[in-house]
Amino acid sequence: MSDLAPHERANREFWDREADRYQAEQAVRAAWGVWSLPEEELDVLGDVAGKDVLELGCGAAQWGIALARRGARVVGLDVSERQLEHARAALAEAGLDFPLRCAGAESVPLPDASFDVVVSDWGATAFCDPYAWVPEAARLLRPGGLLAFSGATPLSWLCLNAEGNGWDARLNMDSFGLGRLDRPDGTVEFALPMGEWIRLFRSHGFAIEDLLELRPPEGATSTFRDERGLAWARKWPLEQIWKLLKR
Amino acid sequence: MSLSDHARRNREVWTGYAPEYAEGAARAWAQEEITWGVWHVPESELRALPDVAGKDVVELGCGTAYVSAWLARRGARPVGVDVTPAQLETARTLQAAYGLGFPLLEASAEDVPLPDGSFDLAVSEYGASIWCDPYRWIPEAARLLRPGGELVFLVNGTLLMLCMQEDEASPGPELLRPYFGMHRFEWADEDGIDFHLGYGDWIRLLGANGLDVEDLIEIRAPEDAKPHRYPALPEADWARRWPSEEIWRARKWA
Repeated sequence: MSDLAPHERANREFWDREADRYQAEQAVRAAWGVWSLPEEELDVLGDVAGKDVLELGCGAAQWGIALARRGARVVGLDVSERQLEHARAALAEAGLDFPLRCAGAESVPLPDASFDVVVSDWGATAFCDPYAWVPEAARLLRPGGLLAFSGATPLSWLCLNAEGNGWDARLNMDSFGLGRLDRPDGTVEFALPMGEWIRLFRSHGFAIEDLLELRPPEGATSTFRDERGLAWARKWPLEQIWKLLKR
Repeated sequence: MSLSDHARRNREVWTGYAPEYAEGAARAWAQEEITWGVWHVPESELRALPDVAGKDVVELGCGTAYVSAWLARRGARPVGVDVTPAQLETARTLQAAYGLGFPLLEASAEDVPLPDGSFDLAVSEYGASIWCDPYRWIPEAARLLRPGGELVFLVNGTLLMLCMQEDEASPGPELLRPYFGMHRFEWADEDGIDFHLGYGDWIRLLGANGLDVEDLIEIRAPEDAKPHRYPALPEADWARRWPSEEIWRARKWA
């Protein structure tokens, strides 16, 4: 854990502090994004049975447990020890056992080419520097492996209001130079303009398989976003899933 | 060869525009350097194109064919395809003036009377890339390319299409229309029909036609950008903050 970047340390402090409240209040499920869109509908991951799956930023391992039940050999990674305590409890309750590792996604203590799928749903991929974690994901995947992760669209960042808690129908921030957001709560998040994402993926041997810009259905409910967030996200994509194949 | 209704309508519109575009065409043909878009950003900076020497190139929606002319001077064998005879007439006049002959073909990029697998590069700058329906012209571009061939096309910036005003006033930062459902655009003050997709839709469409996305170049107006003459397009201040133009690069699976 000594080689964490300063923003990873800040994010770990936040998650160690907030994990209990988050896991108690947010009703996190193994479904995509803030409106919990079902994998059965989006079909991002395909058949995971018999595959080695790494979850980056697993939290209480909701996704890991769901994928293990579908026959995947899962490893859960999280930077927060407190989150992993919740994951251990959840595994015990589910009667499952798979490895949980405490580490950031920018430097993962696991061997090269050891996974078929690297997945993250608003996980470490939102809180780590893409220029550090994308090369790690490329290293960890076998040829033909899938990287799938969800997070904020660049458009949603550009439209963030001054308080940082809602979205305007207006570009408030410049697109050129977009990359890092320092939140008032001390956390640091990352998002890139579309072209930068594409160049970064390509430079690490990924083929661009798909970009799902998520639109919540009418009346969708979320413990993360309010009605105004839903109204915005019905018109403009607030979150997206990249699907990339390692060559 | 069949023409879609929007292709017919856009041909009428461009027949009307052709006389005023002849002057800009002469300037563009006179230019040695390859540049992109209304900010004239040099190809030497963007590096969107491969080495074209000895390559078969099709320009889809070539208009006055200045891009083909630039590529011909670098050793390419271009074919210019455009649906508007008046624009091709300007191109022919300039070909004669510069002694630079290459085939010009009257057709919509949605239905090109050329054989499969006959080009190494398909290019479009504000051509078919915005005036044809991508669900028709991308399959045609893919068909025309040889395995390993490249597709390079410039479109209006995606954010710009959300901010573009109806009344030909320069856009501001307000999002005036939704992103979901972007495809066919009709405007209050103009008869032409143009087409713009969201990022995910482009990626899926290219992939479905056997084209691997290689790059998306978001063009930033240079600091010393000169004003352009298109009232509906943003001023340099806007285009310094958000990309007003984007170049997609894709390659047909070998």
